[in-house]
Amino acid sequence: MPAAPAPPLELATFAVRDVAAGAETALRDGVLTVDVPGLEASVAGEPGLLGMTVHLVRPGESVRVLNVLDAVEPAVKTDEPETTFPGAVGALAVAGTGRTHRLDGAAVLATADFFSAYDVTALDVYPDGDSFVDMAGPAAGLAYWSATPNVVLSFTCDAEAPPAEADASIRRTTLRVARDLAATTLAAPPEHLEPLDLPAVQSDLPRVCVILQVASEGPLVDTYLYGRALRGLVPTLLDPREVLDGALTAGQYDWAGVRDPTYFFQRSSLLRELLRRHGADLCFCGVILTLAYLPSAVDKERSALMAAKLARQAGADAAVLTTFQSGNSHTDTVLTCRACERMGIRTVLLLAETNGGLTDHVPEADCIVSVGNEEELVSEWRPERVVGGERTWTGRPADDAGPVPAVAYLGSLCQMGDMRMRAVSW
Amino acid sequence: MMIGTNRTVRGVAVTNPVGEPSLGGEDERALRRRIVERAVAMLATDVEPKTVWEGRT
Amino acid sequence: MKVVHYVNQFFAGLGGEDAAGTEPVRLEGAVGPGKGLGLEVAVTLACGDDYFGEHEEGALARLLRWLDEEQPDVLICGPSFGSGRYGYACGSFAREAARRGVPAVCGMHPESPGVLAAEGAAYVVPTDVKVTGMRDALPRMAALARRLASGETLGPPDQEGYLPRGVRRNEIAERTGAQRAVDLLLAKLAGDVRTEVTATFDDVPPPPPVADMSNATVALVTESGLVPRGNPDRLESNRAHAWMSYPLEGLDGFDVADWETVHGGYDTSVANADPDRLVPLDAVRRLVAEGSIGSLHETLYTTTGNSTPVATAAKFGQEIAQRLREAGIQAVILTGT
Repeated sequence: MPAAPAPPLELATFAVRDVAAGAETALRDGVLTVDVPGLEASVAGEPGLLGMTVHLVRPGESVRVLNVLDAVEPAVKTDEPETTFPGAVGALAVAGTGRTHRLDGAAVLATADFFSAYDVTALDVYPDGDSFVDMAGPAAGLAYWSATPNVVLSFTCDAEAPPAEADASIRRTTLRVARDLAATTLAAPPEHLEPLDLPAVQSDLPRVCVILQVASEGPLVDTYLYGRALRGLVPTLLDPREVLDGALTAGQYDWAGVRDPTYFFQRSSLLRELLRRHGADLCFCGVILTLAYLPSAVDKERSALMAAKLARQAGADAAVLTTFQSGNSHTDTVLTCRACERMGIRTVLLLAETNGGLTDHVPEADCIVSVGNEEELVSEWRPERVVGGERTWTGRPADDAGPVPAVAYLGSLCQMGDMRMRAVSW
Repeated sequence: MMIGTNRTVRGVAVTNPVGEPSLGGEDERALRRRIVERAVAMLATDVEPKTVWEGRT
Repeated sequence: MKVVHYVNQFFAGLGGEDAAGTEPVRLEGAVGPGKGLGLEVAVTLACGDDYFGEHEEGALARLLRWLDEEQPDVLICGPSFGSGRYGYACGSFAREAARRGVPAVCGMHPESPGVLAAEGAAYVVPTDVKVTGMRDALPRMAALARRLASGETLGPPDQEGYLPRGVRRNEIAERTGAQRAVDLLLAKLAGDVRTEVTATFDDVPPPPPVADMSNATVALVTESGLVPRGNPDRLESNRAHAWMSYPLEGLDGFDVADWETVHGGYDTSVANADPDRLVPLDAVRRLVAEGSIGSLHETLYTTTGNSTPVATAAKFGQEIAQRLREAGIQAVILTGT
């Protein structure tokens, strides 16, 4: 790390074991009560939206949540709550230092049926595929939030407004609700306080960085850093704690299983693992943010070289390369792998598979983690209730969709490695 | 290069492999013709496996 | 347990290369290597290697009809060792049988084209490349066949002695992908390189160059999703189930009024303003007129290469190549996005 490292991030965690509707929004004895009418009314005046319906869903209930755009962990900055999710909904401040209160065990899920409201295919690049979270049934192990009680914000878009406007309001509202739910703990003494620190360490430990890939091709398929869409991003060095503390937010709604919801930026198993092992068997020397889906071979090559160069500048001996979505982005990942390896930076890649295939490869990619096969079908399930829409993206009834591929489940094959799924050869 | 195609001519971009909208008109058509001429030449050339030629120059 | 065994003309005792054109034949009981299986073979089916290769559809239809009449518990094909044509026939027949509910076992060298032809539907026991591997191959094939016939579900390939079927199955690991990644990276730094995925890409040697392009017929093929406007045959924007062909007669270029792309994997606005940016029909016509290219094949082959499983894409490629070969095409310009 550089000579003046940032002050530590202190996470105070409050456990939630259930959600319930109640007269006021509060957290008591592990139960998060939500003033549903008050919450629903709070969206009035947001451009591009006709309304929002709040549903509370619990693990084990026969409910399928569909058209899930994002999952967010309730979090709030204690010293300046108004800077929570800086730039995205909060006032600007550098994320990743100071104290943050978070609710563990409950999530805010945002849903909206863009396909019903708009001709989404008119966008230059538009999202594809279903996005489910099943609270029970054969797929209950696939989406992380099948196992958490969730506050579902189901948005109704104004078909007269541009979809980008509706989406901006959806993201802003979802992050605001996540902040306000966590803000119910501001007066409470922290139950569990954990410093995330990156002190200087002895020099013979291997220096490891993360090259974190995101995609940002336009409205509904963007990722945001401090509230700014990342189209045109040049590889950029971040402190991992910025990522964990709300600097990075999601707005990319393509193929649910192979993208990173905001929740996984906040909770990243990869960043947490490297922070845990910092000083023990490695030195965690930074996160380099890069873009996928760069449009030409030259753009891809340039980005790969610059990411590898930044890794070298950060003193990295090795890098973990994550991927966002699949297909074209796999080329970005393997080119970055090759650029790193040619500079002597050893790599491991996280990739999702499609029926045994990888879309692209370089000989240097000799160490790959599989996060699973996108195409594998989950047997059909007929839930009693659906939330967030009536029909799937392919036009089937949501409660009778037949067998569903793994990639339709939000975050199921997240290539930052937050889930435990992998594919093995048979 | 990567996955093993033996004769590849590098085109312009994902969205327009044999086009360049910023040129347009006769200039764009000339560029497209140049890329195709490279392809024709490559088809008539003995190559090592996985060879990539530039299309635009 | 009822067993049907498939062999080629040589192992059926019908002759050598001279009999490679033998049509499918049905023989009672075990024949040739079938006698060494240690199982009771009810029926042996045989076919000439050349006949199968040249009349695949018809040969398969006949073989499958006999199979259907017999209703066996298992089909055993080969062993075909290193043989290309015999291996391909074994793999193809085994695949079709398995897809119709008859478990099938083959025995062949891991690099035989029959392994790919089996498409993971049948179980392939790896053998030596030479026929001298017969005594080793037969009991291993028979053991697997016996278990499949009894309805047993087999374990993973490395434990049970068959080649991975190209099936990747999801399972829940003990640790997250991220944790496994950090472990693997540190192991790699210590010199122990391991991977959870092995990329298998074909190594195809480059075909020799075209002797004279000014006399050659060139075909245009694309995965850019280019179709006649209105997409009459409903080509998908991703996960295409088929490729399509459209006539190019009389066209000097792709007019925006008549053509569009339906590909869902990239921003199509640039291409839809001028579809020649995807497939250079106008440039090729010009080069034909000037004599640099002999002629243009008057059919466009097109599909959408977006989220296509690798095996499907390979099949499309093989099918289109077959068509082009039949049409006498010497060279292809394939555009990708």
